[in-house]
Amino acid sequence: MSDCETLAKAAPEVKVAARERAGVINPMYDCQPAGAQYAGIGVKDCIPLVHGGQGCSMFVRLLFAQHFKENFDIASTSLHEESAVFGGTKRVEEGVMVLAKRYPNLRVIPIITTCSTEVIGDDIEGTINLCNAALKQEFPDRKIHLAPVHTPSFKGSQVTGYAECVLSMFKTIAKKKAAPTGKLNVLPGWINPGDVTLLKRYLGEMGVDATVFMDTEHFDSPMMPDKSIQTHGLTTVEDIEASSGAIGTLALARYEGGTTGTWLQQEHEVPNHLMDTPYGIKNTDAMLRKISEITGKPIPDSLVRERGLALDALADLAHMFFANKKVAIYGHPDLVLGLAEFCLEVELEPVLLLIGDDQGSKYKKDPRIKALKDKVHFDMEVVHNADLWELERRITKGEIKLDLIMGHSKGRYISIYNNIPMVRVGFPTFDRAGLYRKPTMGYQGAMELAESIANAMFAHMEYNKDKEWILNTW
Amino acid sequence: MPMVLLKCDKDIPEREKHIYLKAPNEDTREYLPLANAATIPGTLSERGCAFCGAKLVIGGVLKDTIQMIHGPIGCAYDTWHTKRYPTDNGHFNMKYVWSTDMKESHIVFGGEKRLEQSMHEAFDEMPEVKRMIVYTTCPTALIGDDVKAVAKQVMKDRPDVDIFTVECPGFSGVSQSKGHHVLNIGWINEKVGTLEPEITSEYTMNFIGDFNIQGDTQLLQTYWDRLGIQVIGHFTGNANYDDLRKMHRAKLNVVNCARSSGYIANELKKQYGIPRLDIDSWGFNYMAEGIRKICAFFGIEERGEQLIAEEYAKWKPKLDWYKERLKGKRMAIWTGGPRLWHWTKSVEDDLGVQVVAMSSKFGHEEDFEKVIARGQEGTYYIDDGNELEFFEIIDLVKPDVIFTGPRVGELVKKLHIPYINGHAYHNGPYMGFEGFVNLARDMYNAVYNPLKGLAGVDIREPEQEAPVLLREAA
Amino acid sequence: MTTEALNSKVDDLYGYVQERCLWQFFSRAWDRQENIDGVMSKAEDMLTGREPSRETPTDRLHCADALIMVHDFKERFPWIRESGPDEVRQLLDGLKERLVDLTITKSTNRELRHHLY
Repeated sequence: MSDCETLAKAAPEVKVAARERAGVINPMYDCQPAGAQYAGIGVKDCIPLVHGGQGCSMFVRLLFAQHFKENFDIASTSLHEESAVFGGTKRVEEGVMVLAKRYPNLRVIPIITTCSTEVIGDDIEGTINLCNAALKQEFPDRKIHLAPVHTPSFKGSQVTGYAECVLSMFKTIAKKKAAPTGKLNVLPGWINPGDVTLLKRYLGEMGVDATVFMDTEHFDSPMMPDKSIQTHGLTTVEDIEASSGAIGTLALARYEGGTTGTWLQQEHEVPNHLMDTPYGIKNTDAMLRKISEITGKPIPDSLVRERGLALDALADLAHMFFANKKVAIYGHPDLVLGLAEFCLEVELEPVLLLIGDDQGSKYKKDPRIKALKDKVHFDMEVVHNADLWELERRITKGEIKLDLIMGHSKGRYISIYNNIPMVRVGFPTFDRAGLYRKPTMGYQGAMELAESIANAMFAHMEYNKDKEWILNTW
Repeated sequence: MPMVLLKCDKDIPEREKHIYLKAPNEDTREYLPLANAATIPGTLSERGCAFCGAKLVIGGVLKDTIQMIHGPIGCAYDTWHTKRYPTDNGHFNMKYVWSTDMKESHIVFGGEKRLEQSMHEAFDEMPEVKRMIVYTTCPTALIGDDVKAVAKQVMKDRPDVDIFTVECPGFSGVSQSKGHHVLNIGWINEKVGTLEPEITSEYTMNFIGDFNIQGDTQLLQTYWDRLGIQVIGHFTGNANYDDLRKMHRAKLNVVNCARSSGYIANELKKQYGIPRLDIDSWGFNYMAEGIRKICAFFGIEERGEQLIAEEYAKWKPKLDWYKERLKGKRMAIWTGGPRLWHWTKSVEDDLGVQVVAMSSKFGHEEDFEKVIARGQEGTYYIDDGNELEFFEIIDLVKPDVIFTGPRVGELVKKLHIPYINGHAYHNGPYMGFEGFVNLARDMYNAVYNPLKGLAGVDIREPEQEAPVLLREAA
Repeated sequence: MTTEALNSKVDDLYGYVQERCLWQFFSRAWDRQENIDGVMSKAEDMLTGREPSRETPTDRLHCADALIMVHDFKERFPWIRESGPDEVRQLLDGLKERLVDLTITKSTNRELRHHLY
């Protein structure tokens, strides 16, 4: 490709549009209940109860296992035919009691609806009242929080489902009048354990007392000599209870935790700070400065140094290898928009962004998309309500020439069969080892991601004998 | 010993009817686990839904067919990238899934228009594909969309396409088994007999209930080719849609998976008088027996003996090498149903392995009759086992290896027990002579994995060392 | 032959069929009955030196199943080679009676008599 061509172009066009087809070929996201289940497993001593057919939880458990190579406990009300006809609330009651009896440490049960039980119209709130009474009688010394999570699959996606379940658990558990904690709430959205570890490290290095919701660090869990199973969320009931007494909320994902930040502000007067998701250098800068501003804690030398290390590594790659390379990115909206910003920093050209659900009216108003419009020097397309066929079709019909795909494993065959290097990001990334452990956020994440991109491109050049001699010396 | 109530089931005593510990001089007249019965809500059962039984297990295997799932996005997303059934045409079946992506308005006003549009789009986007299966899901069944009428209309508009409809929403039946049934019966009644095959051999058969997991079908096909037997329909491994419309012309139905596909074999017998021969294609001894029976049916015994002799010469020494090293090992099988009875005796006879516990997700009482007749005394036979039961059973029987799905595999890894993918295999195929050597090899590699011993070492204890495992060159 | 001796031999045959033969456990009672009757009748022919009929597809199916079973019987239970026609009939009748009792008469399989597949 020619650099001059890019420079000569006067007014690059940024097109934002929805998928035109009615049907989906190769979906990018799972449905709402899947996202709700992901939020639920982030809480310690919590087993989500999915009110629907058994597949609605079984396959989601498999999906989580594929991504994390771990097992997570999620229960089902096992909706069968007669419940579909006569209503299934009895099965919720039975499911709650069975869980409570067999799992003595259980403290939270999000009750997650699905398309079937929403169509039937089961009264979840009323059922929860009945369950609460039954639990009180059976277990007078235990408190089990039952959170109603309305996630019909015919609305939104796993993204909104995640947000909905987080919000419902906060509404159910957060204390009406919590004592001030001096702590900061951090709502990072649906991220990998590697990113949770990174955020906790940054907060620690800044000396900030904070709680990450949901703390999924132990979704990467060990094989121990005592055979203990430590695969579970670390966020406790107490953490959520105290969230309403925090000094502020840092919401790092507009679509995945943003609503809970807003609710904490409206309901409990906890100031909400909605930030661009910290992918890339500038977004991370902004996050750290905001944390410093809220807490009065200075940004420590260690993070200045880490930033420098990242810049030093990125500088080795950007204009030599990345510049003018065309990239498509798909995945969760906060991830895609954050990574687009990161790409611009390292001179990659994200020419196609795919966001996969029906919240188009919200995406159109997203300030990050507006910022991209003002900034990019190349033609760019943002497709919302997209499926992966939007990507594949553009490639196979020759409408787009890509040097790199960034996205999750569900798009793997597009890369394989069109011979385009791909870097796995987001969820799920089951066809690469250990990615859940690696950060993508922050300076370290930016550096590691750029290095993964470079190495993917290098391997591609070598396997295809395409300028492989460039690396004869570097 | 009668039925068993495990400690973890004290609060759900009805589970006693589902768990049997075999003792001398007992049989299924006295003790037959209750199977194919409703799941208790909240038990963390392993079951999936009827829809997945139809789409994921049987229909989705076809290598030339659009799988149109009429419902919200999750049902498509979740039944994609969860199987290992390659094809000889580039794995079309694993690369794509289609959904009508139902939204709330379609729930309210009906989804038939949406379905029709999605079907046309799918054919338009991939004009070389002419076959389609349409599946209903929980919400589209509840609102009563007439998918048959839509399919009829689309076939009228496009005379060169053929469409099959499967109506088994996730809530129907008690497990994926219901979906197997609906698809089998629908196919025989609507599609078999609508196309005539080209007969190329005097000896013709259908091979029923094998889904080409890691190439099973393709391996067995080499046997049928050598024997000069024409397979008219493979139900459904590596099969074309149209092949299965011609099944009525075979002289023999050979059935491997009687649970998922026995129905169509029964109907082919009833409606077309084609006899049904059940065989086990897993296991050395069993495979030879199956080939002998097929050849005896056609009167080509000498061809069969020659094939068996060649295969024995090639693979038996390898099998025996593994048998020497695996004998006495204790194995658990937690899979769908039929693999319990296919495997329990074959691993015992061919590899000297003792099967000490078995759990079936969707087997019927017929499957338990088979497995209890074949299985050992002192072994647990469990219907619809759940997570707490698995822990307790592991404690009771102390298996050296567990054949199960990847999620449960991740769970038992924490207990230092290796797993082998009992559904999709580790490195298959596992059917046939070569396949059973593959299974033996994978079992050897699992059982003789040094990490298991290392995991048990607490390095704080100075004298603790991992047990020495002597691995040998296979 | 004493009843005891007969029973002990039937035990052996029954044990073999239990472990090896899928035809006894077909989906419905009538399928099981048909298979048990068919395979036993072909086995009797084979063990008494008669040529079994292979006229219909079902005949050929039962012959195939019986052939393997008879072969294994002879290999595992050499005494069966010495058994005369009457004894073979007695043995197979005893076997059949037990198989029918287990897989049909006393089976608690709830699907066994459903009129549809």
